[in-house]
Amino acid sequence: MPEDVLQGWLQALLNGVVSGSLLALPALGFSAIFAVLRFPNFAVGALATAGAYAAWVVNARLGLPVGAGVAAAFLVAALVGVLLEAAALERLGRGGALMKAIGSLAMAMVLENALRFAFGNDLQAFDLPLARDMLLGPVRIGPQQINNFLVAIAVMAALWAFLALTPLGRSMRAVADNPDLARLKGVNPRRIALITVAAGAGLCGVGGTLIGLDTAIDPLLGGRVLLSVFAAAVLGGLGSIPGAVAGAFVIGIAEEFTVLALSPSYRMAVGFVVILAVLTVRPAGLLGSRAA
Amino acid sequence: MTGAAPLLQAEGIVGGYASAEQVVKGVALSAAAGELVSVIGPNGAGKSTALKLVAGLLRPSAGRVRLGGEDVAGRSPQAIARAGLGFVPQERNIFGALSVAENLEMGCLFERGAMRARAAEAYARFPMLVEKRRAAARSLSGGQRQVLAVAMALMARPRALLLDEPTAGLSPRAASELFALVRGIADAGIAVLMVEQNALESLAVSDRAYVLVDGRNHLDGPAAAVADDPDIRRLFLGGRTHPAPAAAPVPFQQPGGFP
Repeated sequence: MPEDVLQGWLQALLNGVVSGSLLALPALGFSAIFAVLRFPNFAVGALATAGAYAAWVVNARLGLPVGAGVAAAFLVAALVGVLLEAAALERLGRGGALMKAIGSLAMAMVLENALRFAFGNDLQAFDLPLARDMLLGPVRIGPQQINNFLVAIAVMAALWAFLALTPLGRSMRAVADNPDLARLKGVNPRRIALITVAAGAGLCGVGGTLIGLDTAIDPLLGGRVLLSVFAAAVLGGLGSIPGAVAGAFVIGIAEEFTVLALSPSYRMAVGFVVILAVLTVRPAGLLGSRAA
Repeated sequence: MTGAAPLLQAEGIVGGYASAEQVVKGVALSAAAGELVSVIGPNGAGKSTALKLVAGLLRPSAGRVRLGGEDVAGRSPQAIARAGLGFVPQERNIFGALSVAENLEMGCLFERGAMRARAAEAYARFPMLVEKRRAAARSLSGGQRQVLAVAMALMARPRALLLDEPTAGLSPRAASELFALVRGIADAGIAVLMVEQNALESLAVSDRAYVLVDGRNHLDGPAAAVADDPDIRRLFLGGRTHPAPAAAPVPFQQPGGFP
């Protein structure tokens, strides 16, 4: 095998792992919301965009460090997510999951255009120091990519600790597993639902910020990755937390190899192909327990 | 077990599922503290529905449910649970994705401060749960799951406990063990109302029994008398004259809802 081909593969693999880690956060948010509220919330893309703009305002306009921006992204996206749920989606609940899913698409359009109105269509960049890519053997990686990857891993670890080790996380898993029994045992389902939406939307906000740090921000930032996020969650098994992470890494790597082997215009096709394949071969997904 | 008003008393309860005719057309059930009461009857008699109406999972359209003198009919299931009523559903009565320890904790949300002490009590009472405490509850056997479901209900220190077909799908041996466990719970002073398809074995450990037919009370009385009633034997018990543990009746319904 020629050396430059191998080098290209390694570079694609590395890029895929990094972009997979960024996709994993909104995919986790999407899957967590699905697990507890039992509907696909397609506003996750727009929530990621909202979080990215919040981080950008804190960093580029207020001049605060990127870390403060990431925190602001979590809080603002969580708040907006809860507002959308309480003001609109919750009321559609009686219409069933499909009604809420369509409602979430509508909310995504509203949110995206509100951001467009407030910030314009232009690309915005974070205030970051210029840094040279590093060479790791045959592949190159930017310091910002490393930072983003580490932040994404840290957020995933924090989510795991929250779910596994806190009473609130335990109640969330209980509602996802057996909502009727959880209610019987005294869990307030609405409280758990809103906390889940806040956490899930917050994850989307952080994910959107990291994607914005990797490239730039515009009102379509979240909408562009929505398909990949959805495909990651479907591949992992809707509602499965480890599945969302695994699915995101597979999608991220598959997209990079598609760009390498075919052309960048086929990147979008990966999500569709994966969704089609999963629904045909294994509807429950890689790690899902219930049929999607 | 007679005397003052029973701890748990349901009278004239009517109800069923939405957009269907009433499954329960007027049922009275009661259980005193320390009393184990069986509810038996043919399939479709409304036994499980009656329990759900008492527990508040279904809203009764008529009737009263008194728990310790307090009328709880029409309240939410959480409010009724908080008032001291434990309910173990027939299916999906554990959190399969959670560990055994977490399942027990979920049983104690009303009194979080007492969680540790009560979990320690549960482990002392059910040693089988100790070695499985870190395992996902879905990895337990059918009998172990029922024990966990009952242990979870006991974590809330209920005054009355409703059990919906606790031995469904269990081996004869596991069923006998569970009946002994339920008897012990009643002997500890809890009022227990148990719907069962294993009618003979259930009557053998019970103090009293109700026979429901077509959503109404058909007969009630001391368990031994119900077990010896010739009509009852012929109608529901297959005509056998004594419980035969070696050939315990096969349950009519298999649990199918476990993940």
